[in-house]
Amino acid sequence: MAGSIFDHLQEEVQDIIGRYPVKRSALLPLLNLAQREEGYVSEEAMKAIAALLDLTPPQVYETVTFYTMFNLKPIGKFHVQVCKSLMCALVGSDDVIEWIREKLGIRVGQTTDDGLFTLSVVECLGSCATGPMMQINDDYYERLTKETVCRILDELKQQGDCPLKSGPFMVPEPTS
Amino acid sequence: MSQETGQPTVTLTIDGMTITVPKDTLVIEAARQAGVMIPHFCYHPKLAPDANCRMCFVEIEKMPRLQTSCSTKVAEGMVVRTTSPTVQQARKSVLEFILANHPLDCPVCDQGGRCDLQDFSHEYTPPVSRFTELKRVFPKEYFSALIETQMNRCVQCLRCVRYCDQVMDVKALAPQGRGTLTEIKSFGHHELDCEFCGGCVQICPVGAITSRLSMYEFRPWMLKRAETICGYCGDGCEITLQTKENRLIEVNSTLGGGRNNADLCARGFFGYHASTHPDRLTTPLVRKDGHLVEVTWEEALETVAAQVGWVKDEYGPEAIGGLISARCTNEDLYLFQKFMRLVLGTNHLDSSVRYGYMNAIEAFRRVQGLHRWTVTFDDVVAADTLMLIGTNVTETNPITGLKIKEAVKQRGARLITLESLKPVRGTISNIATLATHHLELSPDQFGIGVLGLIKAVFEQGLVDSALEQEAPEYVGALRTKIEAITWDRLLAHSTLTPSMFHAAVRTFEQGARSIVVVGQGVLRSPGGYATMVNIHDVLLLLGRLDRPGCGIAALAEENNEQGAIEMGAVPDLLPGALPVSDPEARRAVAASWGQEPPRTPGLTMMEMIERAKTGHLKALFVVGENPLGSLPPSAGVAEALDRVELLVCQELFLTETAQRAHVVLPACSYAEKDGTCINTEGHTQAVRKAIEPLGESRPDWEIFSALSVLLDSPMEYETAKDLTKEIRNMIPASRVLGPAPLPPRPDREVLRRYILGGYRDDLDGRLTPPPVTKTTGTMTLSFAQSLFHSGKFSTKAKGLLKIQSAGVANLNPQDAERLGVRTGDRIEIRNEGGSAITPVRAWERVPEGVVVFPEHFDQDLRQVMSVTVDPRTGVPYCKLARVSVEKV
Amino acid sequence: MDPGSDGTTKLMASKYEKILLKNMEQPGYTGSLQDYEKAGGYQALRKVLGGIPPDEVIDIVKRSGLRGRGGAGFPTGVKWGFIPKDHPGPRFLCCNADESEPGTFKDRQLMERDPHQVLEGMIITCYAIRASLAYIYIRGEFRLAAKILERAIREARAAGYLGSRILGSELDVQIHVHAGAGAYICGEETALLESLEGKRGLPRFKPPFPATHGLYQKPTVVNNVETLANIPHIIMRGAEWYASIGSPPKSTGTRVFCLSGHVKRPGNYELPMGTTFRELIFEHGGGMRGEKPLKAFIPGGASAPFLTPDHLDVKMDFESVAMAGSMLGSGGVTVMEEGTSMVWAALRLMEFFYHESCGKCTPCREGSSWLVQILQRIWQGEGRMSDLDLLVDLCKNIEGRTVCAFGDAEVAPILSTLRYWRSEYEELIARAEASRSSKKELPVVA
Ligand SMILES: Cc1cc2nc3c(=O)[nH]c(=O)nc-3n(C[C@H](O)[C@H](O)[C@H](O)COP(=O)(O)O)c2cc1C
Ligand code: SF4
Ligand code: FES
Repeated sequence: MAGSIFDHLQEEVQDIIGRYPVKRSALLPLLNLAQREEGYVSEEAMKAIAALLDLTPPQVYETVTFYTMFNLKPIGKFHVQVCKSLMCALVGSDDVIEWIREKLGIRVGQTTDDGLFTLSVVECLGSCATGPMMQINDDYYERLTKETVCRILDELKQQGDCPLKSGPFMVPEPTS
Repeated sequence: MSQETGQPTVTLTIDGMTITVPKDTLVIEAARQAGVMIPHFCYHPKLAPDANCRMCFVEIEKMPRLQTSCSTKVAEGMVVRTTSPTVQQARKSVLEFILANHPLDCPVCDQGGRCDLQDFSHEYTPPVSRFTELKRVFPKEYFSALIETQMNRCVQCLRCVRYCDQVMDVKALAPQGRGTLTEIKSFGHHELDCEFCGGCVQICPVGAITSRLSMYEFRPWMLKRAETICGYCGDGCEITLQTKENRLIEVNSTLGGGRNNADLCARGFFGYHASTHPDRLTTPLVRKDGHLVEVTWEEALETVAAQVGWVKDEYGPEAIGGLISARCTNEDLYLFQKFMRLVLGTNHLDSSVRYGYMNAIEAFRRVQGLHRWTVTFDDVVAADTLMLIGTNVTETNPITGLKIKEAVKQRGARLITLESLKPVRGTISNIATLATHHLELSPDQFGIGVLGLIKAVFEQGLVDSALEQEAPEYVGALRTKIEAITWDRLLAHSTLTPSMFHAAVRTFEQGARSIVVVGQGVLRSPGGYATMVNIHDVLLLLGRLDRPGCGIAALAEENNEQGAIEMGAVPDLLPGALPVSDPEARRAVAASWGQEPPRTPGLTMMEMIERAKTGHLKALFVVGENPLGSLPPSAGVAEALDRVELLVCQELFLTETAQRAHVVLPACSYAEKDGTCINTEGHTQAVRKAIEPLGESRPDWEIFSALSVLLDSPMEYETAKDLTKEIRNMIPASRVLGPAPLPPRPDREVLRRYILGGYRDDLDGRLTPPPVTKTTGTMTLSFAQSLFHSGKFSTKAKGLLKIQSAGVANLNPQDAERLGVRTGDRIEIRNEGGSAITPVRAWERVPEGVVVFPEHFDQDLRQVMSVTVDPRTGVPYCKLARVSVEKV
Repeated sequence: MDPGSDGTTKLMASKYEKILLKNMEQPGYTGSLQDYEKAGGYQALRKVLGGIPPDEVIDIVKRSGLRGRGGAGFPTGVKWGFIPKDHPGPRFLCCNADESEPGTFKDRQLMERDPHQVLEGMIITCYAIRASLAYIYIRGEFRLAAKILERAIREARAAGYLGSRILGSELDVQIHVHAGAGAYICGEETALLESLEGKRGLPRFKPPFPATHGLYQKPTVVNNVETLANIPHIIMRGAEWYASIGSPPKSTGTRVFCLSGHVKRPGNYELPMGTTFRELIFEHGGGMRGEKPLKAFIPGGASAPFLTPDHLDVKMDFESVAMAGSMLGSGGVTVMEEGTSMVWAALRLMEFFYHESCGKCTPCREGSSWLVQILQRIWQGEGRMSDLDLLVDLCKNIEGRTVCAFGDAEVAPILSTLRYWRSEYEELIARAEASRSSKKELPVVA
């Protein structure tokens, strides 16, 4: 589609569509791609995807709204998502939420004035042995303490990255 | 095995009753057949089971849990209990869950009194709720001008969404969100944009989706209902017109009722207010001192009788002509032609079938010796392969469109489309998106497309061997002619390739049951008749014309065009479609009428107009027709009307034509009269009166009857029923009301005559691609039917006007970009005939180089249309023009 | 807690032989193709291609007694055997990597640390069921795991383990990673298929089962990551070897148990089936993290009913846990110490279920929102004694009456905590009623 957000991604788009015998299957991957590009899923993106996959815009919309990871509106540069499910709650995730609220001065669901951070609470992210934890954009940060939370937020703000993010997961860690 | 059908069956017990049903029947269906109604919300016979509401639980022996009867198939020896205490408890509980968040606003809900939730709650729910928490509340949102959603009432059965997808193939409704916060929406917060078939309103078991057209106007028990037939298109949908105090309140359609089986389109569902529009004519008018003034019926009728009597005496019956709309009932049409032939003594009468459908009928008569389809809607649904040629089927004949969708989507039929459409999806269904082979053609190229099919049949060696033996000359002549035309020539103006045609005919030929559906794109375009005959050749060559389940289905635009043919409301056919020229036919008619109809051949519509222009036609009866509004100025209708000495119009509204009349007689709409009509597949159906005639208006037949008395040849009938009886006696084929009559088979004798020589006389002309048009323009302007209107009558329906109230020129986005215009901008459309300015819309499904304009709003644009008349059928072609387009 | 510093989260030597976690526990093991091959990887694939016919592979897996590790514990070989032999069209394999059950985090480790083990299992499975296209449906949040798998797929393709004519045989297999986007229900196999088809993740009613009407209505096997990771080992070492581990005959092999909550060393422990909870929690997990004794534990992910200290000696196999009134489920064991409010714990889980109910079935959709509100009310001190019977009644009206097993799962925390700790509910409510009645006695100000 001319003038769509996928213009410069033709190859990737075609590669994605090519993975499936039925076009519609490419819907979630393309939505993920759109969100990667724009930070959220815009109406224009939904329409462009509909056209690519022979769907109607409502068909794309109904799918988008079923999944919690898609943002329908622009959000902060860093999406801070704290797990609040029971396993993390047992080891202090409520505190983590409090710390972040304090540190950033926002409530859950809000974005900082500088547009950098949006805070959400989410359900289990598959890190129950390494809680409390949060996900910021693609990365997991685990076994959070007040210090690490502050450091992570500071470094993200200053450097856009933080080495405290988790690498390949293994718990307990092997003795070396 | 069932003895009669040979279908495998299963015997089971439901609540102690033993019942035998076909294998694969759902338990809920089997129970219904046993007379047990299992409460349900999400189940609907038209939809694939979804088992989401959990209301239809039953106990089945040997199964551990309660089972949903809507998703469980019967099995041999199954023992089902539908009213055990566990089942009852489960039902109560499901209702308790549903009602937990339900607003209980029945007093202000239009579904009240016919709501499944209300009924089941009445039966199963205790008076006090255990739910004391906060109810989930969805804020009210604007959904659309015609449809209202009240999501707090929704039971999330998704019937609306599933219908919109599975039946309509529209996919305009989106359940958004998840869990208990799911809401039915369209796209984001946008207004609903769809076909407005009303299906979601009808299929919603509660009051979550309702029509705004009748909001708060009624309680269901106040409504009077009349089972009748929608007056808009040839599909002939059965509708229930619901009325209150002589006002039209709403339309419904019932499962199992009519050929549409509960489905409708926007016109049928939202278009009913046209009948009671405030502009309706309610008193007779007579022109006095240049003005039409209100008079009594007596005076009006006497004026007409005196004047027409005078014309007849002075100039002879040949100076009188008549035109009637094919929206009239059989009774009106029949009595009109009887009036013209018997009372006035002329065959100069024609009807709106002349605008195109006549091309199909003439070709049917010539090649197959009949004047009807050889297939029914059921055959369409059961077809293996379907080919659509120039149908625009969703817009012109939405229910035929649904049968095609059903064939393709539910039964796996393969579809070939020769359409002027790009297969781009939108929230108005696009039949081309369902096609296995789509051949995109400009609207002036359908004839060429059919030549391509013939060529491909030969090149692929698909000619039926039996035919080759029986009529080698016919096959040879066609082969020689078609070989002389090169693909380059045929495909000069398209992006199609020969291999696409090859593939299409191969696929078509693979089906044992193959049907061609032909639409207005063929029938109303230059060469329409020739193309129609060529389509017969395609089927003949493939050996498919005379096979059961195969045939050609030509689509009628107006609801009773088939009736107009069968009633003899055309110059050269008598009732039963018998030729006037046949003495035996005339004698047969005389047996009923007591007098033979005149034998002099009658004039077609265009011939009458010509004759009037030269001053030879002195009096014209126009019944529900509006030639001045329908034909372009270049047809000279104004000049013709200026010259006639008596113009009598029987009308609902003061149309362009009626404004020039000497006498205007107010007629009734379909909602105010009884009668019958015949749909495009040849099915005779009853039109029933829903409201009393508005003002002094009278059914058309009554007016002819009254005039006949004044003209001293009384044709008197008490009621429409008496006329129906007379018709039935004359036309055996229309004797049956109810299920479609078995379709006729082609007349072998006529077929033989055709392939052994009858094909010859116009072969040269038929198998020649039309010359490239020389006119200046750069684009092809096509007047086409919109889904939301039908003729100009529907432009009086307030519901439909809310969807579409003005014409917009639709262009392919690339053309729009080239012209530098965007949706909402204005363009000038021009050629040597004139010019007009109109807003544009960029629409992906319009092919490049084409401008599509809804014909219902064509007033100014008609100037650019010239008229050519088909040499054999007299059909006026005025829907296509070459034009140049510019931004203004 | 300051993990790592006291070494409590470091891995201890185990008395059992590990199967799935073995490679990754080797020092320096990166999960690369090279490392995997060095550790004997892809030998099983070579072995089947070298002459074990597909049906025999299925038979081996049947005889191994391997049961699904995704939650339901269905015998894997039997499931494969349901794929119609004579089906002419395509068939599919879907690896269920949606791992969203609270308390479960084993698949993440298997994918991030030893991706080729999963891939090899998938390729062999494709061979056995004659599928040539497979998808790994991975939850959208697992970005790292997805990247690692994608890289592993590229490596495998380059090395000829994936693609067409694998290792010179007739076998063609393509594997694609397909990321979800936040929906627990997409772990349910039919919801997973819907989601993979690009739709809302609403479960389908069964029958028909995926084995005959799966992805695109074609025969499909859906297996959990851990299930598939076992396959190469079963092929290499034989059905009998595998069947001898654990609690034969019904619960064979090892399982990766995910230990979380108030224990010293939470983490993934691969133990033979049939090991006791006590051993997992107190030996491998190092016991309770603080002073407080164990009060309750969840034996198999959020969907499994809670158990009490009385159940610590129950064996962790399918039958024993079922006998104890719960289920082994996804293998997620969450430990709670004395002092943890069971009402609060049930509420937290109920909030999860309310958030995640897909909304298809009336009882689950409306029931979850009702239940969560009642629990919130009780927790906030506004409960009524009649709420307890109402809770039980509503749960009974959800259980067994929904399309998928989510409905059964969501009532488990409430029913089980009410069963063992009803008094906690009653205390909260009693306190609430007392404060309400004392409020009532306040004089009305005119
Ligand atoms: C609500 C629900 C959630 C589920 N989530 C998962 C999951 O995240 N991962 C998984 O492997 N199986 C999950 N399952 C189980 C799957 O439906 C299915 O049984 C499993 O993937 C089959 O693989 P297996 O036989 O290898 O265990 C879930 C089931 C239900 C009812
Ligand atoms: S039980 Fe719940 S999660 Fe499962 S299909 Fe029904 S509504 Fe969805
Ligand atoms: S009618 Fe069967 S579950 Fe809804």
